[in-house]
Amino acid sequence: MAKTELNRNTETETEIEVEDSSSLKGTLASVFLLGFILIVTWVSVYSLFLDRS
Amino acid sequence: MHLHKFEKIWLIFGIGSLLVFLTVLGVSAFYLGNQPPSCLATIDPEKVDTQAPFNEPGLKKVEGKEWEYELVFVASAFNYTPGEVQIPKGAKVKVIATTKDVIHGFEVAGTNVNMMLEPGYISELVYTFNKTGEFLVLCNEYCGVGHHMMTSKIEVVE
Repeated sequence: MAKTELNRNTETETEIEVEDSSSLKGTLASVFLLGFILIVTWVSVYSLFLDRS
Repeated sequence: MHLHKFEKIWLIFGIGSLLVFLTVLGVSAFYLGNQPPSCLATIDPEKVDTQAPFNEPGLKKVEGKEWEYELVFVASAFNYTPGEVQIPKGAKVKVIATTKDVIHGFEVAGTNVNMMLEPGYISELVYTFNKTGEFLVLCNEYCGVGHHMMTSKIEVVE
């Protein structure tokens, strides 16, 4: 059976580089940002404790 | 089970840092022997004034122990006994404290001496006073209307 091609648009045919919607780059960056904030605060509090003892 | 490559990376990172933190705490507790300040020693809160060492609050020199001095503090609403004490610089002091009524705090500001005093329990902590000067002792647990007035003073002298 023939398919209708009403939505066919020749302009969008040219491939635009779109990032895969399942990409986890942003998640990776935010996870590591949070991780480093936790590490920095933990280390600074612990070194304050060691410095005072 | 399929795991995305990034998921593997942050799981390893997260579990790894958890293990590092727990190892540091484990070494501190089991190798260096750090304990919570209140560790199993108990006392009848109504008889604090008559029982040693709390019948004589203040600084006392002791022989043959790991520390050179014992500093006995009794807290009650809303003051500490003694209200002021002098300690020689560099002295290794075991702070022994308890409370006669409600929960009080005991912090020597600017040092690691910071503990909770619970009725019925004796809190102890060993600390070496290496810096001269006046140190404020204050209550960190809200204990009633006079909580903010509850202070004492430790003077570390040459």
